[in-house]
Amino acid sequence: MPGGRDASSVAGEEARAVHAEAMSERILEATFACVDRWGIAKTTVEDAAREAGVSRATLYRYFPGGRDELIAAVVGFEFARFFDRLYDEVRDAASLEEVLERGIGFAHQAVVGHAVLQRILATEPELLEPTLTIEGSQILGAIAEFLVPYLERHELAPGVDVAEAADFLARMALSHITSPGRWDLADPAQLARLVRVELLAGIAPAPVR
Amino acid sequence: MAASLRLMDGARPEGAHEPAVARVVRLGGDDRSSQRVRIVDAALRCIGAQGLQKTTADDIAREAGISRATLYRTFPGGKDAVLAGVVETEVARFFSALAVTMGEADDLEDVLVAGMVEAAARLRSHEPLARLLADEPGVVLARLSFAKLDGLLRVASDFAAPFFARWLGPDEASRAAEWAVRIVISYLLSPSQGFDLADAGQTRRLVATFVLPGVVALGALGDPAP
Repeated sequence: MPGGRDASSVAGEEARAVHAEAMSERILEATFACVDRWGIAKTTVEDAAREAGVSRATLYRYFPGGRDELIAAVVGFEFARFFDRLYDEVRDAASLEEVLERGIGFAHQAVVGHAVLQRILATEPELLEPTLTIEGSQILGAIAEFLVPYLERHELAPGVDVAEAADFLARMALSHITSPGRWDLADPAQLARLVRVELLAGIAPAPVR
Repeated sequence: MAASLRLMDGARPEGAHEPAVARVVRLGGDDRSSQRVRIVDAALRCIGAQGLQKTTADDIAREAGISRATLYRTFPGGKDAVLAGVVETEVARFFSALAVTMGEADDLEDVLVAGMVEAAARLRSHEPLARLLADEPGVVLARLSFAKLDGLLRVASDFAAPFFARWLGPDEASRAAEWAVRIVISYLLSPSQGFDLADAGQTRRLVATFVLPGVVALGALGDPAP
């Protein structure tokens, strides 16, 4: 490591960092395209490099862990993209009820309509799940954190702890988004019954009309 | 279900006591079902010791103290067929234990708590399952998420709903049962600091705070059926 750094080398580092981010994004987009075409098992580092228009050596510079790191990164990348869309969908929701209804409804449709995800689940689910678990615990935390201010603004049932309620609702939202079970989440009446009657009864009971 | 419940007649072997197991199995008769149980239990021990991927049909036969040919005669599909048998047998054992506990509950809160605690404790202490979750999580998770979880929710809630039906209508009983199954699976896969579902006190607090009010709200409660 060089000891002293002048202004131009700092600027150079910043430029390199921006370039690095653009480059890893380009490689991830290319990897996603390969997974879309061939599935996870058949996607190789060479395929991804060719699709991205970079050399194998360049790809390894950005993803030293090779194929495994690349696949994990592409799942994380796609998750981030999904959560950006979900956030856009619910950010102006006015209440806890609304954020849950819109969030669960939108996310469920997005999962059902995600062609690449559905193909992987049908043909090679084992290859996806290890990365999903790692993402899964982070996702729970992120959903819970997002719900906290909505809970704080809402009148809650006596004895309900905001952090506990947020964690519980995050778990139940995620569970229903991926596996709706008996609930038809495309039906607004059922979605409302799930959220307002089942999930929120103990946390934020509806006022008596 | 009847076929898999029959498998439960076999004795549950205790780890290393191989000769004792063999004796028990022979005492139980040399019929196909006891042979199946013996192979299934041997497969469970193999998975607990070395994981699923590395376990071969030969390993299972050796562990069960039978020949490869006998294993294939009992399970013509080999390792995959044995594994299907393992799942079927363990699910039957699981539901059977759950039925005893839930059948003893006196009210709706008790049946929720009893079922969730029994399920969580059994899943937690299941060594082959713990081994898979730690070393080969994809194998388990692929069966516990998305459409596969939907299938499991259906089977498990069909099993559990009758225990809720003393206090709830059929639709509400199914939804309550499905909800309880979701909660158990969520806390199994992502343990929480606040609630350990194998702990009756903590589960009772979770149920009383978050679940029972929703179950009650789902359906107007009548008097319990006689």
